[in-house]
Amino acid sequence: MADFSWYIRSPLERALVAGRYGAPGEAGVSLTEIRNFDLVQVMARRGKAAETVNAAKARFGVGAPETPEAVDTTDATLIWSGPDQFLVLSRGGGQRMETLARVFAGLASLSDQSHARALISVSGDKARTMLAKVSSIDLHPEMFPVGTAAATSIDHTSVTLWRGKNRQDGQAVFNLLVFATFAESLWHTMLDSAAEYGVTIAHSEELA
Amino acid sequence: MRIVCPFCGERELGEFTYLGDAKPQRPPADAGEDAVYDYVYLRDNIAGVMSEHWYHGGGCRAWLKVTRNTLTHEISAVEPAAGAGSAKVGA
Ligand SMILES: [Zn+2]
Repeated sequence: MADFSWYIRSPLERALVAGRYGAPGEAGVSLTEIRNFDLVQVMARRGKAAETVNAAKARFGVGAPETPEAVDTTDATLIWSGPDQFLVLSRGGGQRMETLARVFAGLASLSDQSHARALISVSGDKARTMLAKVSSIDLHPEMFPVGTAAATSIDHTSVTLWRGKNRQDGQAVFNLLVFATFAESLWHTMLDSAAEYGVTIAHSEELA
Repeated sequence: MRIVCPFCGERELGEFTYLGDAKPQRPPADAGEDAVYDYVYLRDNIAGVMSEHWYHGGGCRAWLKVTRNTLTHEISAVEPAAGAGSAKVGA
């Protein structure tokens, strides 16, 4: 029988080439892949939505989002992903299935998505202009302030999009989770859209 | 055309998939062949206001019941279809 050796690698390992890309000068867009995270989908069982929200509150200090928003807690971000469901995003090894299974026992069904999605962070003073080319959602700060989330499609690809805390230099940060097998295609689409503004490409192990 | 998803807000048509008439109800098991044939195959071709099922597959993945005028595309109501978000209402 063949021997398999399993190892973890990013779905963007081939597509992502760290460095500068596109127009010269000050880069208007930063594209950063976050590589080390745990991600668990939590779906409330029938009639258990309120109890699921409360269980999240007991564990994280804040209730799970019931509308499209992303809520930061001390050790995780809870991101709305549809009616009666949300994602728990944390640093690698943070909020694992085993841990969360106890929190939501009997209330919700859980599914580990840690290696099923790629996490891409888009920032820079041209980030919103670039995203406007590929997203039909109005990302103006008045319509999409920090903490707003959306289950939407970019380039015919389902994504979970949310606005994170601003960068230290005040620039907006848009995070998106995309299915691993679609990550490379979406990455190229965004890179093409961002090229005219100049792009800084990087990957990071650090969840911002 | 845009649809206001009750969970996500206003979204472009490309995020949705059309299923069709929301009116037909599955007949009871003993309803007979004609009733089943009617339920599976026969559809009215409505020129006017119609109740339709749409799927927000490019968004929150909820099924919706949309009231739409097939002549003008005017949408007068959107509500979650049975089962969508049902954990909340306990349906
Ligand atoms: Zn929706």
